Amino acid sequence: MQRLYDSVEPRVMDEDMLKLAVGEQGPQEEAGQLARQEGILFKDVLSLRLDFQNILRIDSLWQFENLRKLQLDNNIIEKIEGLEHLVHLVWLDLSFNNIEAIEGLDTLVNLEDLSLFNNRISKIDSLDALVKLQVLSLGNNQIGNMMNIIYLRRFKDLRTLSLSGNPITESEDYKMFIYAYLPDLVYLDFRRIDDHMKDLAGSKHQYGIDELKHREHLIQARLDDERARQEELKKHKVAFVEHLNGSFLFDSMYAEDVDGNKLASLPGVGELLQAYKDKFVIICLNIFEYGLKQQEKRKLELDTFNECIQEAIQENQEQGKRRIAKFEEKHLLSLNAIREESDLTNIEIKIVEYGEDITELFNVLMTLEMQLVEQLEETINMFERNITDLVALFIENVQSLMAQCRDLENHHHEKLLEISINTLERIVKGELDEDLPDDVRALFVDKDTIVNAVGASHDIHLLKIDNREDELVTRTNSWCTHLVDTIHKDEIMRNRRRVKEINQYIDHMQNELDNLECSDVID
Amino acid sequence: MEVLKEKVEEEEEAEREEAAERGEKMMRPVEMRREEPPMTQEMLRDLEKKLSEIEIVIPEQPSIITKDTFDISKLPLSYQSNTLKEEHLLQVADNFARQYSHLCPDRVPLFLHPLNECEVPKFVSTTIRPTLMPYPELYNWDSCAQFVSDFLSMVPLPDPLQPPSYLYSPTTVLTHQKGNCFDFSTLLCSLLLGAGYDAYCVNGYGSQDLCQMDLTRDVCPLTMKHKEVVQEEEKVPPKKYAIKPPRDLSSRFEQEQEMKKQQEIKVEEEKRRKEEEQRLLEVEKAKIDPLHGLRVHAWVLVLSGKREVPESFFIDPFTGRSYSTRDDHFLGIESLWNQKNYWINMQDCWHGCKDLVFDLGDPVRWEYLLLGTDKAHLSVAEDEEDGMNDDEDVENLGKEDEDKSFDMPSSWVEKIEISPEVFETRCPNGKRVIQYKKAKLEKWAPYLNSNGLMCRLTTYEDLECTKTLEIKEWYQNREDMLELKHINKSTGLNIDYFKPGHPQALRVHSYKSMQPEMDRVMEFYETARVDGLIKREETPKTMTEYYQGRTDFLSYRHVDFGDRVKKLALNSAESNPRPMVKITERFSRNPEKPADEDVAERVFLTPEERIQVRYHCWDDRITASKREFLRRAEVDSKGNKIIMTPDMCISFEVEPTEHTKKLLYQYEAMMKLKNEEKLSRHQAWESELEVLEILKLREEEEEVHALTISIYDTKRNEKSKEYREAMERVMHEEHLRQVEAQLDYLAPFLAQLPPGEKLTRWQAMRVKDECLSDFKQRLIDKANLIQARFEKETQELQKKQQWYQENQVTLTAEDEDWYLSYCSQAMFRIRILEQRLNRHKELAPLKYLALEEKLHKDPRLVEFLKVFV
Repeated sequence: MQRLYDSVEPRVMDEDMLKLAVGEQGPQEEAGQLARQEGILFKDVLSLRLDFQNILRIDSLWQFENLRKLQLDNNIIEKIEGLEHLVHLVWLDLSFNNIEAIEGLDTLVNLEDLSLFNNRISKIDSLDALVKLQVLSLGNNQIGNMMNIIYLRRFKDLRTLSLSGNPITESEDYKMFIYAYLPDLVYLDFRRIDDHMKDLAGSKHQYGIDELKHREHLIQARLDDERARQEELKKHKVAFVEHLNGSFLFDSMYAEDVDGNKLASLPGVGELLQAYKDKFVIICLNIFEYGLKQQEKRKLELDTFNECIQEAIQENQEQGKRRIAKFEEKHLLSLNAIREESDLTNIEIKIVEYGEDITELFNVLMTLEMQLVEQLEETINMFERNITDLVALFIENVQSLMAQCRDLENHHHEKLLEISINTLERIVKGELDEDLPDDVRALFVDKDTIVNAVGASHDIHLLKIDNREDELVTRTNSWCTHLVDTIHKDEIMRNRRRVKEINQYIDHMQNELDNLECSDVID
Repeated sequence: MEVLKEKVEEEEEAEREEAAERGEKMMRPVEMRREEPPMTQEMLRDLEKKLSEIEIVIPEQPSIITKDTFDISKLPLSYQSNTLKEEHLLQVADNFARQYSHLCPDRVPLFLHPLNECEVPKFVSTTIRPTLMPYPELYNWDSCAQFVSDFLSMVPLPDPLQPPSYLYSPTTVLTHQKGNCFDFSTLLCSLLLGAGYDAYCVNGYGSQDLCQMDLTRDVCPLTMKHKEVVQEEEKVPPKKYAIKPPRDLSSRFEQEQEMKKQQEIKVEEEKRRKEEEQRLLEVEKAKIDPLHGLRVHAWVLVLSGKREVPESFFIDPFTGRSYSTRDDHFLGIESLWNQKNYWINMQDCWHGCKDLVFDLGDPVRWEYLLLGTDKAHLSVAEDEEDGMNDDEDVENLGKEDEDKSFDMPSSWVEKIEISPEVFETRCPNGKRVIQYKKAKLEKWAPYLNSNGLMCRLTTYEDLECTKTLEIKEWYQNREDMLELKHINKSTGLNIDYFKPGHPQALRVHSYKSMQPEMDRVMEFYETARVDGLIKREETPKTMTEYYQGRTDFLSYRHVDFGDRVKKLALNSAESNPRPMVKITERFSRNPEKPADEDVAERVFLTPEERIQVRYHCWDDRITASKREFLRRAEVDSKGNKIIMTPDMCISFEVEPTEHTKKLLYQYEAMMKLKNEEKLSRHQAWESELEVLEILKLREEEEEVHALTISIYDTKRNEKSKEYREAMERVMHEEHLRQVEAQLDYLAPFLAQLPPGEKLTRWQAMRVKDECLSDFKQRLIDKANLIQARFEKETQELQKKQQWYQENQVTLTAEDEDWYLSYCSQAMFRIRILEQRLNRHKELAPLKYLALEEKLHKDPRLVEFLKVFV
């Protein structure tokens, strides 16, 4: 095939081109013959070179799943695309192309070396995913803004940077600026950075760097804070008692309760509400504490269980390994013996013996496995009982605490009703001195209205409490069933795998024996 | 107490009578022989012949050191006479002894003041001279006792039934390096007291073995094996979810029966073993000593309390061993003493020393000689009462009141000194042999043997020490770091142990012969080797190597060799390595690789061109992947070479993947293995070479057996000595030069100023001026002096000339000659003086200027004078 270097005609990256490249760059000589015989799968290729091919669009590369190194230099590529699937890529060369913007690299998290030399890039960005970046070559581009350098501060491993041939380099402060703002850099424009110069630059840009650092630090601190809060919440969620360590539930009860809020302005209700809230929060806190404690207990239980199970499995595996090792020793000996034996009847006898050995090994291994299965089943059942008991206890106690909440609510409701009716009576009698807001006064038209309003508020409160309780109970129960299910499933999986493994091994042994027989017969 | 004492005395009396009877019995045969009929001449001749054949064992000198072996007069005065205080003490002691013999007439006289080397009676306590030696080895009692036992050679007591009449000072004993048990004890006690132990000399009775330093019935301490303490593993309490063990289906009854049977067999064996032991013990048992319980011995008692000694114990000074105070060898105590006091045992010794209580403050059990020493009394609470009792006791003995305040005079013995040379040599002549039960121990001083041999322990099979069982030799200061050589005579196995630092990092080398390709095991200090080799075992046909801490995780390599192929070419210079038939290599797990690709074991079967590879096992698996490559160089039907066919690789994979099934993959894997096989073979070959090299090196080392000399050993290290001397010479010269250089011309002027203060400018100026004017004065004086001499010479010459002219006629020829010579000499002197004067006149201003400049540059004045320059 002819190469058309000078042709302006862009070429398409098609299957043929890739096959050709893979074939040329694949194994040579004897291995090459083999490779040709078998054909090379694209996904086995680790490195690919596609330079001087006049490629306009990157395409058809999705099969190269395991590619580590890709060279696409000296083409006429205008846009970085089609590289999303090459997640193992470490080395990417896109130099001498017509790329205008950095893009499409968001999945290449393993990239360490990126070359975009001699393109038309004017801005450094979209590189956030490249956390392992060590070498970045951006020479001969159109980068003109110094602020692009600050963007590079996020790459902690960046050691080598080349920016020569950019408008930015014409600035007299260019080198100093880079030394100062990228202190971990070792090579700039293919030259080692002098430590002395670095110090000098550092002191020169001290002020700007300090400010930048301060800002970065603040952002980092905020992120850390946020993360810590999330962690905490997650921990509480695991214990099923999130948002119970405060007045959150209480506040949510009143959030949608219009009538309740209105009634709060009645004389005497304020104090009542405060006392109610205090008591309510205390109970919530109780639930919270209890929940965390129970969570600890459950965790401990689970850990012990896992540890014991692991130990048992390990022990069993050791036994199995010992058996197999013993068998292998014997196996070698008997194979040799069979090979060396000349008498046909003897061979027959030996082969039969050997076959028996294999069967015995199979039996032993299977017995071991069955034994383990029985033991594990027993233990798992025990654990299941215990954990269910624990959960049931937890739910029961939480429910009793919730009942206290409800009692409080009922009590509060009665009090409120009393006050409301009193107020109504006073309004009816016209004895009311205080001025009530109009919307509140609107409630006090007759007895039914006010009783309804108070009742509605009460209902909302009860509903909230019930909902919270329901949520807790359902989640706890579902966690428990899920856990038990997973354990059972894992155990079944383990068992299947082991049985499969044993069968596979025995089959292999049997096969070997059969082969031996065949060859003997042939001989 | 009285009753007890009587009892003791009775017993002792009985013993003595018995001994006397035995003595009579022993005497009788001699008397019988005397009554034989007179002999004929022939018989006499026969007898003479026989007698001459008998090797006469010369009985050892009763007195250790004969008078003429050393000069008494050179000893210090304190050795030759007694001070007043000592005289007083002797009187007190005599008085005490009198009263004691009066009160206890049945007990043997006390050992109080034997004569010293100058025939002067000295009290035993004053013979002890507590001294702390400058050697750290002598700070602890065990090494100290070992030193004394090594350092002195033992001389038996002149009369085994009586304490000696002489007791020499420890210094004399040290210079002669021999002594009896009393000398040993006194010396050891002195050293121990010096090191801060609460030690006492004990005069008592010991067993025959003890008194004659006979260790032939003792097991050598070096042959005793350390009992390994088996640490019982702590039983972890079963966890909550621990699985239940599978049901045991075997019959318990059968188990019990089996147990019973085994128990019986065990009991039987135990019985037999015991009988055997009993029999052996019978054989070994010594004949009964007729003088049992009468043999006088001296040893050292160390009481608990000081130097963190938890329990009181005895030290036998002959062997340096410690014994419990309840030991069977010690049969009784008469008295004991330290440098401060003397105590007599008032307790019953019928059961040896078993029941003795060593509470020296208890006056009922221990009668003391002097009151008022600071020995702890019985108990603190009853201090007062005890004091009363003491007084009564004192009165009982009729002691004078003035004795109360009498304390022991200080020792008459000079300070004990051991020179480093002697200390290092240790044993007399640097050699010592100890015979143990079925073992012989020989010790040498370092550098005495040219091969660095320090100690040899020969173990015998039988009690008579005729059949050698094994020999252990300890070496020191060897250049090849050989530490211990263990030769097993019965198996012919030699094991050499090395300290770290051998050029080939050898640690242990066990072999039967030094020929290569024989059974041998070499162990190495693996951290000192680049390849991390720990151990290499060889048999005639195999070589096994164990590695640790390698970056390629190789942990084991086993090579099987085939028979050597006969070479056609007779170039014997080239070695003909044995062909390797099989190489097995094992690797430990490399955590960075997946288990499927991490090789656990590979076997290269070279003649069959077969390679077996076994991989590591996944954590949750019980089977491991395997692969077997079989290289067959075949040609297919078309005549093309077959590169790879599926049947060349038999593989078993735990988790089959697609890419490993490919021929290309298998081909590459095989090629890699082929290369690695070559490498392994090369390494095995190198190992063989290394063995040869080591063997050669070992032989050379054995021949040369060069010894190293520590750079800190100033005595032996010739090179360092020379160097040191040269350095000293240089230092001395340097010092002289410095003294010269330091001649300070400003000193006399600075000395006038107050010392230690900084100069002011004015002072500096004055100093400078004074210095200059002084110098000027000196120059002028010098000039004047020369001038004066010149004038004097001239005047004298003129006088002579005048005299000559006046008496010219009467002068003899001799006078004239004399005059002429005088003239010429005088003229010469005058001329010289003239020259000197001229020269002085020329140089004086220059010198003056030079001094001025020098003063300007003087560091002390420079800052003040700078301005004026």
